[in-house]
Amino acid sequence: MATSTLLSNPVVTVNAVDLTDQCKSAELHVAVGELESTAFGSTSRVYVSGLYENSLKLTLYMSYAAAETYATLNALVGTQTNVTVTANTGTVSATNPKFTLTGAFLKELPHMWTLGELSVVDVEFHGGVYSAATT
Amino acid sequence: MSNYIIASDRIGVVGQPFTADEGINVEALLAGGFITQSGVKSDKTKTEPQEEK
Repeated sequence: MATSTLLSNPVVTVNAVDLTDQCKSAELHVAVGELESTAFGSTSRVYVSGLYENSLKLTLYMSYAAAETYATLNALVGTQTNVTVTANTGTVSATNPKFTLTGAFLKELPHMWTLGELSVVDVEFHGGVYSAATT
Repeated sequence: MSNYIIASDRIGVVGQPFTADEGINVEALLAGGFITQSGVKSDKTKTEPQEEK
């Protein structure tokens, strides 16, 4: 029996602002650099952990209205902030973890318009310290 | 005591004090109008009521 949870209703915050109702995609990457430590005598390449390089990509509907997407992101370009994704609505728990990148950097805020479509923006928060809360 | 008041329900209950967690960019929240600084006086000038004649 499948036990995976379909990630269909996460809670997304950017700089403490809840943008869940403007977000249609969230992609969190927790990655660590691999440093090769293979030495003479080795028969296989081996690696040790390097620095973490985390990121959170969000696809958001763009709104220039007050207290919406643009108001949230505009002043964050070129700065660090906290971003969170909770797996689902409801209380944070072991089965509903809340992932945080603390001190993630927003490099750019693109603006895109396409004829006949809702305006969306893809933003990526890079770096930051990863943590997962279960309480 | 918090120096900021929540001005948008996207970050909490409007009118309640806002305490920023470590790492939160408070200047961006102020710029976006999500919070206001408490103790900032309104631009409105208080006028004495006119006496009816």
